[in-house]
Amino acid sequence: MQTIDCRNMACPLPVVTVKRALEGAGGESIRVLLDDGAPRENVIRFAAGRGYRVSEEIADGGYALVIDGVGSAEAEDAANPRKSGPAVILVASDRLGDGPEELGRLLMKNFLITLLDLQKLPDRIFFVNTGVLLTTEGSELLGALEQLGNRGVEILSCGVCLDYFQRKDKLSVGQVTNMFTIADALLTSGEVIRP
Amino acid sequence: MVKDGDLLAVFNSIHRVLKAEKELKARGLPILLIPAPRSISADCGLAIRYAPEERLLVEKAMAESDLLPVEIYVKRGEEYVKMQGLGTGG
Repeated sequence: MQTIDCRNMACPLPVVTVKRALEGAGGESIRVLLDDGAPRENVIRFAAGRGYRVSEEIADGGYALVIDGVGSAEAEDAANPRKSGPAVILVASDRLGDGPEELGRLLMKNFLITLLDLQKLPDRIFFVNTGVLLTTEGSELLGALEQLGNRGVEILSCGVCLDYFQRKDKLSVGQVTNMFTIADALLTSGEVIRP
Repeated sequence: MVKDGDLLAVFNSIHRVLKAEKELKARGLPILLIPAPRSISADCGLAIRYAPEERLLVEKAMAESDLLPVEIYVKRGEEYVKMQGLGTGG
């Protein structure tokens, strides 16, 4: 069984690392070493949310979790080939809809906050164009996006867009990405949702 | 999005809640406008979330600008408890 050491990692890195390891493990179980507190809680919540079975031991000054290889989410995707592959959300604007700006901003904000209440979360959210205004300093969505990040949703903002709005140094949640990654994700994902 | 002890002032008119948000922000109060949780609002209600330590200033501001909510709830554990007092605005 593969063991991965996620000790001394700041959130959301433990969840992201575990997620990638499970995706690459092809159904095999993995053993994860974690610090107590948020890393352990977030990984347990993430794994349980995907239907994985988790068992726990105390080890080496922290915790070792053994995560059983096949989650119910994966089993469901395997049975439903149309939906195979993770769901991706493309936020291409800081507004949802073509009406008044004020309403559009409110709707997009509400949509992203409401994701926290849903059972099924997307695998990744890409922010492009004015969407990057939502992941940078001053956005009211930083708390919500951080929480999504802690639950295994990757928050990715387009580098060109950050540069255009001169906010590259103001990215406050998630990471910078590029058009190659975005295009690849759009073409290989199970579902692409553009609110 | 809502922590134990946080307060939610629920409005059922989007125009009033947007005005209230603007007014409270103009006064520098740390509030956030969020969708009202489903357990306390059937349709697309909106709520202004504020911390208990802001209560006096926020509710005073709402009263002074005549932008009162329909109801105010406080989060206790996993539940929302309706508060008496300010309310029946909209």
